[in-house]
Amino acid sequence: MDRSDIIARFAEVAQDPLAYAAAWKARTGKQVIGSFPMNFPGELAHAADTLPMILQESDEAITVGHGVLFPFYCGYTRSMVDQAASGKFDVLDAIMFGDHCVQLLGAADAIRMKLTDTRVIFFQLISSMCDPWTQGRSEESFGKLRDELEDFIGAKVSDAALHASIRLFNKNRALIRKLYEMRKAGTAAIRAVEMQHVVKSSMIMDKAEHTDLLQELVASYTDAPAADRNVRLHLSGHFCQAPKPELLNMIESCGVTVVGDDLYHGFRYISTDVPETGDPVAGLARWYMDRNTGVPCPTRVQNNVDWEAYLLDAMREEKADGMIVLMAKFCEPHMYYYPEVKEAFEGAGVPHLLIETEHEGMAMEGLKTRVETFVEIVKRREAA
Amino acid sequence: MKRHVMGIDFGSTTAKCVILDMKGNIVADSVAHMGAVSGEGVKAAIRDTLDKAGLEQADMGRTVSTGYGRRMLDEADKNYTEITCHARGAVAMVPGARLVIDIGGQDSKVISVDSNGLVAQFAMNDRCAAGTGKFLEVLARAVEIDLESLGDTALEAKEKLKISSMCATFAETEVISLLAEGYAKTDVLGAVHAAIAARTLGLVGRVGKNGPVVMTGGVAKNPAAVKYIQDALGMPLHLPHKPQIAGALGAALLGLDDYRKQTAYVISEEEDMAHEDQMAQDKACIPGCRGTPELVVDPAEAKPAPRKGGLKSILSTLQDNL
Ligand code: SF4
Repeated sequence: MDRSDIIARFAEVAQDPLAYAAAWKARTGKQVIGSFPMNFPGELAHAADTLPMILQESDEAITVGHGVLFPFYCGYTRSMVDQAASGKFDVLDAIMFGDHCVQLLGAADAIRMKLTDTRVIFFQLISSMCDPWTQGRSEESFGKLRDELEDFIGAKVSDAALHASIRLFNKNRALIRKLYEMRKAGTAAIRAVEMQHVVKSSMIMDKAEHTDLLQELVASYTDAPAADRNVRLHLSGHFCQAPKPELLNMIESCGVTVVGDDLYHGFRYISTDVPETGDPVAGLARWYMDRNTGVPCPTRVQNNVDWEAYLLDAMREEKADGMIVLMAKFCEPHMYYYPEVKEAFEGAGVPHLLIETEHEGMAMEGLKTRVETFVEIVKRREAA
Repeated sequence: MKRHVMGIDFGSTTAKCVILDMKGNIVADSVAHMGAVSGEGVKAAIRDTLDKAGLEQADMGRTVSTGYGRRMLDEADKNYTEITCHARGAVAMVPGARLVIDIGGQDSKVISVDSNGLVAQFAMNDRCAAGTGKFLEVLARAVEIDLESLGDTALEAKEKLKISSMCATFAETEVISLLAEGYAKTDVLGAVHAAIAARTLGLVGRVGKNGPVVMTGGVAKNPAAVKYIQDALGMPLHLPHKPQIAGALGAALLGLDDYRKQTAYVISEEEDMAHEDQMAQDKACIPGCRGTPELVVDPAEAKPAPRKGGLKSILSTLQDNL
């Protein structure tokens, strides 16, 4: 397959994850486990010979879901509940939740209520990351998840199988990180929406299938660094849901090259690997903790890491001229953390623009004016 | 060499055009209503400005467009957003301005400008027509009064009423029920303008209150809007004579920067002095500006003198004596 075919395949899966799951299930006769973001160890479900897929916000308007979840929940949780209430999740054999914010817990309850026949597995994720007991409690939590999974599939998940899954997932992450490196260096002109297709499809597709395509994709970039007069920006924020492709395209149409991000449907998802040796469950707990030092997340509490400091550092490395913050409406962890980011960026004199996104869509023309103005500000400040 | 540049502001309800000479003086300007979609309004504004100046499009060294329709104009060599252009135009009209409040037909924006005249921050109405000219238009219709006399009538308000809805449609319902309850039209219109002022103050809060403040856009011609915003801000508003052309002027000035650079045009000292004199005579950068040319420090904004005997006062005495 050539480069555009591979990206088209990734885009197809990213646009209709449940259709991919249904086709995979029909082809393999195996079970599909849907999970919530952002810290589910897909390796465990993979080692249990199922297809782990991270459930995605759909583009559809919320309809019946309105009766279950209030409109002041974030778009991701409302969309999850709406998909569950309208029968879209019938393809899933089980759903797994780790609690990472209050709204997600609300959505989990609503889904349990709606999908009475689907096995719903809940696991506790400790949110305080730098206490002496964090590693131990996380091991306990992932251990329990393994027990629940074994109970669900009716078989043991061996350490060897788990190690093999960890190696495969690490390989997949490393390949995507390579794409990030190449984009940063200017040797691979990957548009923001293409990067999203790559990462989002990795959350859905069979890992081996995805990794094979990814290998081909990485090898296809042999470009020399290209000179580019666009403004270099970092995209930050957006946790559980992928920013809408039209938004990413609009941003890039304003003379912007996205050179880095910390989006969950981006670098946050693939930032950290799981140790490949030793007890695999302890390794997963380590991974869970390392992820927050790798790319800090405002849903976790860790006194010795700062998201804003991470962002300023990452941008220096990416040689980014500014940052666009994409904040999903009603995402409380983000809303409450943002003032810290704003203050740090203003203090450091690094320009940034906040865009609040909505599940229901946005007035793109007005947004475009804001992004274009931001680009003009960045350019004129540099020229001044 | 061509000796003029043009700025066009292709807005949602009006089109504005400005022609400048190489020294930055306004040679001609024009405001045309409607036709935003068909492009008729903008064509009329361009034609009218060219006629007034006795020039042709081919005489323009640079044409820059702004406003909602900025990307639709074949005449333009370049386009900038209305925020960049309004800031540039407003600062040219009132040198030293640090905050620009622009309320147009369908959008309102507040722009803070740094000491170099560059946009520092901005906020726009990004949800609906609340706090824009459209809001006033809808409510003028509800009160059955024409838009031109809206401001003067509202200035006669005696009783303070409140319109709490920011959505033009819901506010219209509120207005109708207030009228049905027997409240005077003047008081109801006062409340409408107070609502606009509150909305504007909200945008100011997002970018930070700073002065001097210039108000541009069509709504700056409405005396009640100006009064209510001024009262809500607690700061005076500087009003250019032609508040509607700020965006087109800014676009033309950006074009002029570019064109001067390209043609290596150097303004002679004599020309510069003549320009300064003219500005002083006009009491602003554009003829007939009603704004205050000097930097006015708003008394409410002026820093209080350090408390006698306090740490700051001791430090400043020390500093003065170093
Ligand atoms: S972290 Fe934000 S986006 Fe994710 S579920 Fe919680 S509120 Fe929603």
